[in-house]
Amino acid sequence: MPNNPFMLTCKQVSEALAHKNYSELPRLKRWALLLHVKLCPICGKFNQQIMRSQEMFSRYKEQESSGLHSEHNLERASKEQLKKQLQQAMEAQSKQQAPER
Amino acid sequence: MAKKTEIAPPETWVDRYGDYLYGFAMSRLRNPDAAHDCVQDTFLAAIKALDRFDGSRDIKFWLRGIMRNKIVDQIRRSIKENKVDIQAEDEALIESFWFKYSGIATTNPDPWQFNPRKHYDNSEFWVIFDRCIQQVKEPARQAFILRVLEDLSTEEVCKVMNISSNYLWVLLHRARSQLKTLIEANWTGSDAK
Repeated sequence: MPNNPFMLTCKQVSEALAHKNYSELPRLKRWALLLHVKLCPICGKFNQQIMRSQEMFSRYKEQESSGLHSEHNLERASKEQLKKQLQQAMEAQSKQQAPER
Repeated sequence: MAKKTEIAPPETWVDRYGDYLYGFAMSRLRNPDAAHDCVQDTFLAAIKALDRFDGSRDIKFWLRGIMRNKIVDQIRRSIKENKVDIQAEDEALIESFWFKYSGIATTNPDPWQFNPRKHYDNSEFWVIFDRCIQQVKEPARQAFILRVLEDLSTEEVCKVMNISSNYLWVLLHRARSQLKTLIEANWTGSDAK
């Protein structure tokens, strides 16, 4: 019954999870999908692991975006070099813009 | 004018956002020189485009957006140099009954050896996670970065990597499986195996 939103096939569940994170799907589809993976002896365990992974990756991206976890930092010399390059780029930019004013 | 005052001046960017951007670049490019160059290219591109920044969000997210393009370009270049060829075992997976019938690789995946959810608030877990991403084998790692970390659509990733959507699915499956194995092997928390 492909037109019934509550009766998804395993393939439809897998394809939905391939294109979107579970949490980004419309509420009705999320509900139907959750029902399917909880009950399905074929794709249930596999797709539940995908959903868990998606949740983990989203949490990682939140952490990453907040900048809290990184153990990588620029060395002092690299920072100085970047600052010089930035300064030069800013000067070049303002020279370019000067004749337009 | 009020808008301009909200933007951190470029001469402060290195101190404010240098490490933040470098962390992103290292997770994806693994190489300190390549990551440094990526930060540099991001700052230089941002200087040129600064008059197009509308100040509607924190500039660090705008800089991060510019860096995303740089990372995608870098991966695109590296794929051009080393074309992604489908492996025989991956081809077999795409041709397998379970994949054709229900879009999965196996009906019975190994369960996690510990519950990672318990550690989502522990920053040490994410440090381990970050190290594990860097150990995932190419081209699964590249697919993971583009699709999951950089949020490109399936179509965009297939175009960048010049692969089919089925093969992308297999590569992401490989990346997830390897990450799980790596995290289980590297996690030393109290509930580690």
